[in-house]
Amino acid sequence: MNHAVKAVGLGLRYGQRDALTDCTLEIPEGSVVGLVGPNSAGKSTLLSLICGLLEPSTGTISVLGARPGVSAAHLARVGFVAQNIPLYDNLTVAEHLRLGAKLNPRWDQRLADEHLQPLRGDLKRKAGQLSGGQRAQLALALVAAKRPELLVLDEPVAALDPLARRQFLRRLMELVADLQATVVLSSHLISDLERVCDQLIVLTRGRVQLAGPVEDILTTHYRLLRPSGDPDGLPDGTEIIQALHTDRQSTLTVRSTLPIPGAAPHVQRLDLEEVALAYMGRAQGADEQD
Amino acid sequence: MIWLTWRQFRGQFLATVGLLAVLVAYLLYLGVTIRDAYDSDIVGCVAARGCLIDDATASFIRDYRGPVTIPSIVLMILPALIGVFWGAPLITRELETNTHRLVWNQSVTRTYWLAIKLGFIGLVSLVLTGTLSVLLTWAASRYDLVGGNRFDQMSFASRNIAPLGYIVFAVVLGTLLGMVTRRTVPAMAVTLLIIGVVQVLAPTLVRPYLRAPVTVSVAYNAETRARGGSLDIPSSNPLSITGYSIPGALTLTDRTSLRNAGGTEVRATDVKDCLADEGVTSTDGWQQVERCIAAKNLHFDLEAQPANRYWSFQWIEFGAFVGLGLLLSGLAFWRIRHVRG
Repeated sequence: MNHAVKAVGLGLRYGQRDALTDCTLEIPEGSVVGLVGPNSAGKSTLLSLICGLLEPSTGTISVLGARPGVSAAHLARVGFVAQNIPLYDNLTVAEHLRLGAKLNPRWDQRLADEHLQPLRGDLKRKAGQLSGGQRAQLALALVAAKRPELLVLDEPVAALDPLARRQFLRRLMELVADLQATVVLSSHLISDLERVCDQLIVLTRGRVQLAGPVEDILTTHYRLLRPSGDPDGLPDGTEIIQALHTDRQSTLTVRSTLPIPGAAPHVQRLDLEEVALAYMGRAQGADEQD
Repeated sequence: MIWLTWRQFRGQFLATVGLLAVLVAYLLYLGVTIRDAYDSDIVGCVAARGCLIDDATASFIRDYRGPVTIPSIVLMILPALIGVFWGAPLITRELETNTHRLVWNQSVTRTYWLAIKLGFIGLVSLVLTGTLSVLLTWAASRYDLVGGNRFDQMSFASRNIAPLGYIVFAVVLGTLLGMVTRRTVPAMAVTLLIIGVVQVLAPTLVRPYLRAPVTVSVAYNAETRARGGSLDIPSSNPLSITGYSIPGALTLTDRTSLRNAGGTEVRATDVKDCLADEGVTSTDGWQQVERCIAAKNLHFDLEAQPANRYWSFQWIEFGAFVGLGLLLSGLAFWRIRHVRG
């Protein structure tokens, strides 16, 4: 399988601070990847590295087989909606479309019009006067008409109300199906992503905690309830992600590729949010012990 | 990309052009007025009997010094204004509003983006400055002919092609500093500071030595005082002339000794026949002393860049500042690829 993104040992420093450390991951072509993590976990840094807005301090990254942002032709293949959806506030909606048409040789006006349907009446309004939802809509139309092979969105729904979130994600998924593009989108809320993603990356404090297909993640993680101080009975290779102990019992969140014997309530499947939170909690705990 | 650059720049451009249009109208008016005054007062005076040309010249210069100086100052500070208000914000405005993250992910490289932006703003600045410089050079030409010194800092820096060199330097400098500081206000401040320092240092420390100066011998006579040279007669040291400027030239020596035909410095004892015993107090008495000394066939030597080097100096400064601008834009094009988005 070809990889849309391949990073090896990727790192980025801002002065003394590591924004991203030793990040190794592969994003298969055609997948929809959710990138989750708390604020300032390095999500924007990773996405900016994928788009070529930042150059890595260490390691390498290859996007669609080339160094990100290496040429105009390569830039044309990657679409990016940056955090907080930057637009030229004193340019109108129509002028943004003109900008897109002029700066992108592969511009698809039909696709732009299609995604701009909800803004048809606002073409003459300046971008600075648009609501969060309208900004997101315009940004999506701009990026859609590029017909990118890889679409990167940095917290695109953060400023939207729940209804607008749902609509935005639905339109995004229509677009992805239309373009057959690979998508990476970030959020600090996994609930935004779990309905649309088939891959998940959990990032905390600049490090990748978990990366893989959603299906694999869901089938290999368990919550175990057992009497306190009884670690036995786990298959070989079981990794304890998080353990909470009380006097009477322990709650373990574990990863195991082998099935774990037992039944509810002693052995439970987890949903994606629970798994992600366990990994984030583990990273935070480890940091606090440092 | 040209469309986008124009669209972003349009408001500022129209505001500036509006202001400069006033200046253009003023320069046209000034040029016509000065020509009329020159024809009637100077040319007319030469033709008329009983008209003192020195008085006519002095009054002509007095009348037009202010009207010529004001636009000259505008042209002198134009590079700083354009560097600060057009150059410095060119990149920082995008970085501060995050729009670079929008535009750098369209299908154009940063290099191309910068080339169009910088090229466009640079070209517009050049055309504006060129227009103003040509107009001022034309408007002030009669004034410069009668009494101006083309090597004066204000005159040199505001006429002909030197301003074009400064403007290229200023625009690129502002843009580069914006890229380095990433913030508009610091970029503006540093741009202003550097252009200010350069405008002080270039005429004082660099221009006088662009070519090896020549030594000019000037006879001491009644003209000396008209050219700013004041005579000093100390009791023990040689007599000296201070502040003399050679017409049309860049005079480098401020104070120089008065010498006799043989080249020997002249002392007070050598001219004591000209000095009244009781000392000189009245203006009339002093003029008498000067006339007496002037009759002794004395001269003084000055270092200078002669008037006929004016165009070579204009070209050298134009070339040097365009060269600096190109060098800085080379840095800018290297730097833009590594600016953190």
